[in-house]
Amino acid sequence: MTLITILLLACITFCSRYLFLHPKLPLRMGAKMTHFLSFSAPAVLTAIWVPIIFIKDNSFNASITNPYLLAATVAVITSYKSHNVYLTLGTSITVFVVLQLIG
Amino acid sequence: MAFNKKQAYLIMLQKGFMAMLPLNLAVLPWGILCGSLAIQRDFTVLEAILMPALVFAGSVQLVVIELMNDNAPLATILFTTFIISSRHFLYGLAFRDKLKVLPLKWRASLGFLLTDELFALSGSNKAFVGKLRLTYALAAGGSFYLCWLFWNILGIVAGSYLPDLTSLGLDFAIAVTFIALVVPSMTNLPVLITVITAGFFSVIFKLANWELGLVLSSLIAMFCGYLAANKQAKLNIKKQRAS
Repeated sequence: MTLITILLLACITFCSRYLFLHPKLPLRMGAKMTHFLSFSAPAVLTAIWVPIIFIKDNSFNASITNPYLLAATVAVITSYKSHNVYLTLGTSITVFVVLQLIG
Repeated sequence: MAFNKKQAYLIMLQKGFMAMLPLNLAVLPWGILCGSLAIQRDFTVLEAILMPALVFAGSVQLVVIELMNDNAPLATILFTTFIISSRHFLYGLAFRDKLKVLPLKWRASLGFLLTDELFALSGSNKAFVGKLRLTYALAAGGSFYLCWLFWNILGIVAGSYLPDLTSLGLDFAIAVTFIALVVPSMTNLPVLITVITAGFFSVIFKLANWELGLVLSSLIAMFCGYLAANKQAKLNIKKQRAS
């Protein structure tokens, strides 16, 4: 029974990813739709990272003692100034680890 | 130039792997958690391996393992999986025009590998254009698949002996990678509005523990960005006419 459930789950996750890549699907994307979708990357990625930074144990935490918030601020500034992924990762993760060790 | 085709593909494989590396490491605690949770909830080793190998979706795995342990009805399990997976429809739509023209083997393999993480790395206009960039995407997505599978197996084998890695704050690595990918794209007001709206609504929906929140906050944010861009374009036309 578990095996069948797992196969059904696999179908759902694969179909959700593959469906709109299928050429036979009768869907023409107009200029408006393409323009709308051009905002998908900043929208979805932000909707994933912001809760990681601000929510701890199901409650909102925007205090300056929140190491996630401090290190994320460093990340935003570094990324804005340098546009360099590795530099951003390096500086903010260092800050984060130091804060974790102090705290 | 001493730069032949084979070398170019090898470089793209390497680049794809390196680009995904931070994310591969960032999901290590979740992979171990998914693997060990499955074993603790009485999945057989085969079932526990098939979850990452076939379902290949962390949030679905975690939620479903708990639901199955609570003997939830099959319909509930499938519906919940559908809701959590619905954000993938957006990814497919975003890449439709580029990928639908490719042969089945590319569509199926990149479709299978189209996780949040691969989507995150494919924001460029040129992503998936040409064989070299497809190789890059395959290396990035493929290495993520192998790592995810390996971390899960690690959890299946050693889960009960390891401390709870999720409390170490490794989720920060995922957040910061996404920050490093989003911030450089914030070059105009509509994208800035998109980011702020998405951040605001995602926190609200997350606090309400709403599985659909991720997709809904994204859609609201995309719509706000889209409206702002249209408004901006209209204002620019007016300005040009006036001058």
